[in-house]
Amino acid sequence: MSDAVDDIERTIIKHPHRRWTTFRKLTQYLALILFLLLFVFTWQEQWTAELVNLPIRLDPLAMLAHLLASRTFVAGSAIALTVVILTLLVGRAWCGWLCPLGTILDIFSLSSRKRQSCLEKKPIAPKWRSVKYILLMTILVAALFGNLSLLIFDPLTLLFRTLSTSIWPALDQLVTAVEIALYQYPALARPISSFDAWIRPQILPPFPLHYRQSLLLGAVLLTVILLNVAASRFWCRYLCPLGALLGLLSKFAIVTRKVSIECKGCNICSQVCPTGTIDPAKNYASDPGECTVCLDCLEACPRGGNSFTPGLSIAPWNTYDPNRRQALYALAGAIPALTMLRSDAIKKHPHPHLLRPPGVNEDDFLSRCIRCGECVRACPTAGLQPSISEAGLEGIWTPVLIPRMGYCDYSCAVCGRICPTNAIPELDLAVKRVQVIGKAYIDQNRCIAWADHIDCIVCEEMCPLPEKAIHLEENYIEIADQQEISVLLPFVDRNICIGCGICEYKCPVTGQSAIRVFTA
Amino acid sequence: MVKKMTRREFLSSVALSMGALTLNQLLAGCKPKTVPLDPTATDVPTSTFPPPTATGPLPTKTTSQVVTPESTLTKSPPTAEPTAVGYPDLVVTRGGDPDSLVRTALAALGGIQGFVPKGAHVIVKPNICVAYHSFEYAATTNPWVVASLVKLCLEAGASRVQVMDFPFGGTAQEAYVRSGIEEQVKAAGGEMVIMPFFRYVKTDIPGGIDLRQTDVFDDILNCDVLINVPIAKHHSLARLTLGMKNLMGVILDRQALHRNLGQRLADLTSLIRPTLTVVDAVRILKRGGPSGGNLADVQQIDTLIASADIIAADSYAATLFDLQPLELPFIQAGVNMGLGRCDLENLHIEEVKIGV
Repeated sequence: MSDAVDDIERTIIKHPHRRWTTFRKLTQYLALILFLLLFVFTWQEQWTAELVNLPIRLDPLAMLAHLLASRTFVAGSAIALTVVILTLLVGRAWCGWLCPLGTILDIFSLSSRKRQSCLEKKPIAPKWRSVKYILLMTILVAALFGNLSLLIFDPLTLLFRTLSTSIWPALDQLVTAVEIALYQYPALARPISSFDAWIRPQILPPFPLHYRQSLLLGAVLLTVILLNVAASRFWCRYLCPLGALLGLLSKFAIVTRKVSIECKGCNICSQVCPTGTIDPAKNYASDPGECTVCLDCLEACPRGGNSFTPGLSIAPWNTYDPNRRQALYALAGAIPALTMLRSDAIKKHPHPHLLRPPGVNEDDFLSRCIRCGECVRACPTAGLQPSISEAGLEGIWTPVLIPRMGYCDYSCAVCGRICPTNAIPELDLAVKRVQVIGKAYIDQNRCIAWADHIDCIVCEEMCPLPEKAIHLEENYIEIADQQEISVLLPFVDRNICIGCGICEYKCPVTGQSAIRVFTA
Repeated sequence: MVKKMTRREFLSSVALSMGALTLNQLLAGCKPKTVPLDPTATDVPTSTFPPPTATGPLPTKTTSQVVTPESTLTKSPPTAEPTAVGYPDLVVTRGGDPDSLVRTALAALGGIQGFVPKGAHVIVKPNICVAYHSFEYAATTNPWVVASLVKLCLEAGASRVQVMDFPFGGTAQEAYVRSGIEEQVKAAGGEMVIMPFFRYVKTDIPGGIDLRQTDVFDDILNCDVLINVPIAKHHSLARLTLGMKNLMGVILDRQALHRNLGQRLADLTSLIRPTLTVVDAVRILKRGGPSGGNLADVQQIDTLIASADIIAADSYAATLFDLQPLELPFIQAGVNMGLGRCDLENLHIEEVKIGV
């Protein structure tokens, strides 16, 4: 066992194909860094929207599902065809070379030594590879019926959402804690504030951002990473619906791996293969639908026994590849689930706080929103948050405005520009300023002025409308001993209120605000 | 090749540095606090400070920041010292472009060098309360007034001139751009600073009657010169927002000030003593403040008020809205605390009409 591993390591050092894998790793890191940069500068659209939402528009699964569900074609989504063409040329190179989640999984993968011992102990049966195809087919069937809920499992939306709601806020907390700790030392105060001025507001937010469920959303990504212990790139092998789509296309890929007569069956390639698709039982052939073209086998083979060469042929179908049974599973899963989702109580009475980004039409929003979370990241106040219950299970992790967490900034129309599928319409600022998100109502039992007879006026002061949707009336209120005091009482003019929620956000009442925005 | 760090080495070095940081914290707790604000001035009860033996003025290091009753009893505010006898208490300039309004006003007050020593760290605090509108809507201070002050300070030899505010609507980044202030300040050679929340220091207000403690942005406490540049505009609770109300931009918890606003604004003013207050009344917002948005509520009157006495500046600005100074609760509270004067009829006021 250990001899074999030593053998692998020795050959890796010696072998000339190493430059290919070095080049691949370099590409992977560059793509990941680019993805992170585009993510970072999505906030408040620091880089232009067409640029920062590029990774999502490159995602053929999200774009195809959106096309099926919304029956509309977004011009910018055509760029996803480049990934389709890339896959038809060289197979799942996207997964092995470009996918940011794939790169993260590679970074957190076990060393080949540990991987071997894990695999020897508990090999996972190949039939489980069909899970990703069933997931893919379920997504596409659901999309035909106008549902996009399962796109939460698209690798790019999953990573992007987790970055915006968990990783970046957590990183910000950490950096801030260190800054506060070091800032107390007079000698460090100047460098720390220069450092802070450098990273904020460009990279980290100028004030802490908070997201609901950030731990839960982080746990989803953590699970995907931890599954690496069971098998390297577990996610890519068994679960990833985008990998499944690209895997199907790879069956027709031009450049594929071929085993030559030089192969002496030493088994090294099947041990290094991160997706475990090199099968000794099939004469060390691999499935192009599973192969991520990482070229590790090319590098590891001591005899040049395999090569990646062009050729026109369709790869053989495996037992785990899509078949009629899987299609039936997908139909049997999708259709009852959809009908049940649509008989959900929330469809009869919308959630009272279902506040969508400005200009959104709720009727077709769920068949247009691909759950990518670009708008959540772009929103400068962190008012847009992934929904939990507001949109029902069907709309889970679609964007909703939670005014207590952040308000819709009167001077901002970024979400509409950033949305890669136009689920949130792109509006001029002047038009966006009159979009009704909801309507504000005062809880007179909790309002400082109404309930405690103390002047407060914060909601009126904060109202951004030129004509103020909240006005104050001076009232004389009788208190004990026939004394009268005067109080300025706030009233909402709901004819002009747009429900931006800044009143709810700023209301000084502790906990739940005394003025709340309700679905209009 | 550099040797790759093993996991064990990595973890132990992380643990070591964490431990060192924690230990540092503990040790720091044992010695007297070294927060940026000199704590002795705020911790010692004001009645026994300065000690009987001390005859000179308070330590100059803190006079511009912390005002004790002794120093407020004097008729002129403590920061007015640079204004030598003969110069007016307050200058009003009218009828010119913003830059000449500022330059004329400062010249009449005896020149900027009377307020800004060479090498001084200056903070100019305009009102950039929202990111919603450009300067024509009179919700934010006129950019050329701010830029003119920046230029004057740099001409007087200031080492750095920083401009900052913390908007309540929209982000600072947006607001700096939309107000037009960033462009003008940068052109003038000043720097725009976004105020990170971790730099607010919990500070006692020794003279405070209702508000006794608040979190203040540390540079406001540490800078040599603070120039307060509010825009005169309507506000539903304070009636007007002027110089004293503009100081709310340097503290973290503004909501706390809304209860008993007049007194609390005066309490805040007793802590933060601007060297100079320049009220921008080039355009004033008569209704719909503080955020505005309707040009019909804006009146262009091309006026500027400058004084070392923040209460006097606010009092004069009140008259622009046909209000008596004492109709504004914060002026009343400030006068009661001896923070300045509102008796306009007794003040030495110089009014300059430009181009006449």
